[in-house]
Amino acid sequence: MRQGAGLGCGRSRCTLTASFLYTQIVKDRMRSSSHEVHGTEPMDDESFAEFGRSEIFTLKTSMAKIRYANTYKMEPYRKFQAHLVRNKAQHILTQRLQETKYNGATSSFLCNSISEEILTAVKDMGFDRYKYVVTVLILQKTGQAIKISSRWVWDVARDNWVSAKCETESFVSLALIMACYYE
Amino acid sequence: MDEFQSGEETSFVVDEVSNIIKEAIESAIGGNAYQHSKVNQWTTSVVEQTLSQLTKLGKPFKYIVTCVIMQKNGAGLHTASSCFWDNTSDGNCTVRWENKTMYCIVSAFGLAI
Repeated sequence: MRQGAGLGCGRSRCTLTASFLYTQIVKDRMRSSSHEVHGTEPMDDESFAEFGRSEIFTLKTSMAKIRYANTYKMEPYRKFQAHLVRNKAQHILTQRLQETKYNGATSSFLCNSISEEILTAVKDMGFDRYKYVVTVLILQKTGQAIKISSRWVWDVARDNWVSAKCETESFVSLALIMACYYE
Repeated sequence: MDEFQSGEETSFVVDEVSNIIKEAIESAIGGNAYQHSKVNQWTTSVVEQTLSQLTKLGKPFKYIVTCVIMQKNGAGLHTASSCFWDNTSDGNCTVRWENKTMYCIVSAFGLAI
């Protein structure tokens, strides 16, 4: 028994150091790069615990995705007009950012509010059945290089995108507006 | 009679998409240091790879993928996105990746058709 315990201890000590070394190696490898993930998922409430059968039926029919009849419309009434949106976005950017200096603390708030402002302005233009994605970047100028690229899979005939840029002495700001037609 | 969403999963799954993005980033710029001459190629390959893997999922979605690669220089970068879409079917996923010499931010938006 004692011998067995002794052997077991010895082996476990070996495996302990081996596993410790392994985790060190893995940590060193991981230290060279790190990542973070953020995302928003579609809300999908499917908690049906403790319901009777008839209750489940009524719940499910009310929660089922509403399916509309076909409109047989292929084109929007008012198509997305890129030049109008570009002018408006450029105007908003220059109006809000031309006089300001880059400030680490306020920039994130500024970024958020500008993207919301551009979104409401584009919605007010009234192109029907369009979904929008507005991205605003504010980048401090310190002599570094940056590369921004985007690609998409969408309907080339109806979907479109617009970009607007505003440059000052201390920072550059870029707004990207993408509009997708919802069939 | 059966009008419920049954069987096929046709909503935006963040975990799946984030894995696709992470793989694309690792394979394109995995152990590399920042090189100005190669950045163009890197951004294109990250975006193309992500997009092709997303379309292979076969879901009825339109995708928009944006990649930002920035050299580490002590500079500040802020990004914000607002979206006007259907909350029940559309989603987005952003992965911030960094190593010793550069930052890489990839955002993928999925809009249901």
